[in-house]
Amino acid sequence: MEIFKYIFKRIIQTIPLLIIVSLISFFIIRLSPVDPLAELRLNPSVSQETLQRETQRLGLDKPIIIQYCKWAKSFIKGDLGITSNGEQVSTKLKERIPNTLLLTIVVITVTWLAGIPLGILAALNWKTPFDRILTVLTSIGMAIPSFFFAVLLLIFAVKTGWFPVGGLTGANFADMSILEQIKDITHHLFLPVLVLFTISLAGLQRQMRANMLDVLDSDYIKFARAKGLSETKVIYKHALRNAINPLITLLGFEFAGLLSGAALTEYVFQYPGLGRLILEAVLKSDINLVMASLMMGAIMLILGNLIADILLIITDPRIRIKS
Amino acid sequence: MRRVIYVILILLLVLGLLKSCIKQDKPEDNTNTTNIQKIQEVIYPSDQKTVTINGIDYLQSQAPIGNFGGTLTFSTIGEGPKTFNPFNSKDNISSTLSEIMYDGLLTTHPITGQPIPKLAKSFKISEDGKEYTINLRHGIKWSDGKPITADDVVFTWKDIILAGFGNTSIRDSIVIDGKLPTVNKIDDFTVQFTTPEPFAPFIRMLSSPIAPKHIFEPAVKKGAQYFDTFLSTNTKPENFVTSGAFRLKEYVPAQRVVYERNPDYYIINKNNQKLPYLEKLVYLIVGDLNNEVLKFEAKELDIINLQGSKVARYKAMEPHSDFKIYNLGPDTGTMYLAMNLNNRKDEKGNFYVSPKKQLWFSDLNFRKAVDYAIDRKNMVLNIANGIGEPLFTAESLNSIFLNKDLKPYDKNENISRELLKKSGFYWDKQGKLYDKFGNRVEFDMYTNAGNTERESIGVMIKQDLEDLGMKVNFKPIEFNSLVNKLVNTLDWDVVIMGFTGSPLEPNGGKNVMMSDGTLHVYNMRPEKDKNSPRYEFEKRIDELFIKGALATKFEDRKKYYDEYQKIIYEEKPFIYIYSPTRIVAIRDKFKNIFPTSLGGTTYNIEEIYIGE
Repeated sequence: MEIFKYIFKRIIQTIPLLIIVSLISFFIIRLSPVDPLAELRLNPSVSQETLQRETQRLGLDKPIIIQYCKWAKSFIKGDLGITSNGEQVSTKLKERIPNTLLLTIVVITVTWLAGIPLGILAALNWKTPFDRILTVLTSIGMAIPSFFFAVLLLIFAVKTGWFPVGGLTGANFADMSILEQIKDITHHLFLPVLVLFTISLAGLQRQMRANMLDVLDSDYIKFARAKGLSETKVIYKHALRNAINPLITLLGFEFAGLLSGAALTEYVFQYPGLGRLILEAVLKSDINLVMASLMMGAIMLILGNLIADILLIITDPRIRIKS
Repeated sequence: MRRVIYVILILLLVLGLLKSCIKQDKPEDNTNTTNIQKIQEVIYPSDQKTVTINGIDYLQSQAPIGNFGGTLTFSTIGEGPKTFNPFNSKDNISSTLSEIMYDGLLTTHPITGQPIPKLAKSFKISEDGKEYTINLRHGIKWSDGKPITADDVVFTWKDIILAGFGNTSIRDSIVIDGKLPTVNKIDDFTVQFTTPEPFAPFIRMLSSPIAPKHIFEPAVKKGAQYFDTFLSTNTKPENFVTSGAFRLKEYVPAQRVVYERNPDYYIINKNNQKLPYLEKLVYLIVGDLNNEVLKFEAKELDIINLQGSKVARYKAMEPHSDFKIYNLGPDTGTMYLAMNLNNRKDEKGNFYVSPKKQLWFSDLNFRKAVDYAIDRKNMVLNIANGIGEPLFTAESLNSIFLNKDLKPYDKNENISRELLKKSGFYWDKQGKLYDKFGNRVEFDMYTNAGNTERESIGVMIKQDLEDLGMKVNFKPIEFNSLVNKLVNTLDWDVVIMGFTGSPLEPNGGKNVMMSDGTLHVYNMRPEKDKNSPRYEFEKRIDELFIKGALATKFEDRKKYYDEYQKIIYEEKPFIYIYSPTRIVAIRDKFKNIFPTSLGGTTYNIEEIYIGE
């Protein structure tokens, strides 16, 4: 019961937050000197009437406050509006969300599967050559800018011809059997996943290693060892459970990044994900599209934190008692 | 000991870095860019002609016979199509991608630029230039098997285009004194269009696509708002009923558009087999120019437009590669420098342009001095890597209306100085330029930031003008802000911009050239100034554009448009700079490629095949 009350309280708290976020983003976009119709204005074959009609259709002839109220009203109703090209924002997003989810979920799974064990191993073999080498390797991973790394890999793909240059599926994807389709997607995903994996592995592995070292140094581990428990039991039952807590918070943040995390990498690899869509929308000041994606990002962040907090309550009895 | 090794290692590293620096400093070798295959060397087949077999009026290709099958992969830069409805498209990509599926009554002859029949069997224009009679082909069908008849043509024009559905740019361009043309069905295969006045640009509009009535009529009945979403990118490919050489097979957002061959197309080869040869067309949607280049080099693309800076490298690669480079001649766009000739006040009573600058800009000698000071050849060489031509005319260099009497000339600083002296400008000891009232000549020059070509042009022009003693504040600003300045606030001095033009129809530029046009950049007249006094040359250009549109014979029209180009050439409201040359690389396994300046490389897409 306690926990439901807590969740309810948290949800109520998010409402003013969302309003503030939406207000700030709406006004920043609208007050910037970007004119969604600039391209049309400079086209000699577009008539004045067409321009006026477009202005009315996009509601640009009304004061900003009214534009915002109109947007907010339809947003609450669940209508995300239309893009400046007249397409439904929701269908646009629906086209891209699965692709971005696929990419980020693969990346997160791979990094967690590799990062946690490596972190534990490094902590257990503290200051041995294994630990040192791992530290150097992850430092390199942290130091390479993702954009640059992606470009390098792309050039590698062009020169060797081993990997496709960007995209998610090959040109004759529709004519393939299921197995070939899976192979095709894996082939296309390999490089973008490699980039994102290299970048995020470093952080995760280091965090895990540091937590583990902290815990291994604590009194209760010493006590457990003194009690004569087997090393496996000490590490995997007592140390690991305590060391992993901060990572749950981290997972909450990663959840927020699920939909918007990899825009740069997506752009370089021409990956048909949300990042590219949003980038193009911002450049064109396509307000409904930008607002929808910003709000989605904010909601995901809040939701991610909420989930992390709830998970913490479940895994860590100390928090339960305190609250 | 250890320290010594470290020092040696670091030195080696630094040496390596230095070495690569030295290599980079060598200028790129540009010498082999000039001998790109000129399209004149191509031997063109004779024109396609109509042949009747079993009562069906086919169009017969005269190009060499090829093999069936294969795929040609294009690319489009940007987000991809917004709609597949050719009547709704507002951007180039959507138009290109939707018009693949729908043929027009007429098309443009790729070499002469004259209108020729396509979906129509023949056409005739009456003596007075007001009536256009179109005969349709007998026996040709939509992709669902229904015949293409006069009803479809009448419906397309009356109920879609003239009724103002979707994108109204065609409708807007054929309104003559507020009146629209009319369209009538004579019989099942004959249609007659009547324009209220003789209006020559109308013939070009007949190349717009024709819609299948039985598919589009229900959508039109549901109103304009529904029509805007009709045949959007979410429509299932099976639901398209088309007449073009290819029809939609698959659209994957942000990745590609795939078309498949229309098995029942009305163009046949010399063996009377139905074209097109290719089985599939693929358009890859790529985000930017760099990615396009990578995809071409990774052989994922078959054809690419080359930027000036890349031509030299591709030319070097060509002999031992699998592609061929074609020179399509000058681009249709025009790049120009314009001065603000506006001498009016805004609503608050302030001048848009300060009075002392007005005196300079409205002085023909000043404009000519600027013109003579600009080194166009140098810009072509340095900015376009030699892949371009200096431009002096308002019509692009490949326009069929180009006034060839207007000769290019070189930069000549002495003439500039003479002209300035004549208008009372003088120089002080440091060589700074002052006007006759003692005002230092200083102005702002704008262009849109991010367009590296225009930015480089700006830098070079600034240099040229500062040699004359002017002070030029060159300000590249964000595109939208620039448009706002040019169209709304009008508070600018000099601008470097470009327009896209049509090589076939100068009337498309009337919004720019006519004094009350919506894009009459050098002297914009907002609503309140619509009746303000005109310069003499503006009045004459207005007359010429009205006459040019009403005249029917090409020769008569040419005379009017020649004169307008001459006026611009002499009065210099626009100072044109240069036209980049279009260079295309295409894999040499594709045969029947007959590039032309007007048609590009793939206007004859149905004839292209893959050689052995």
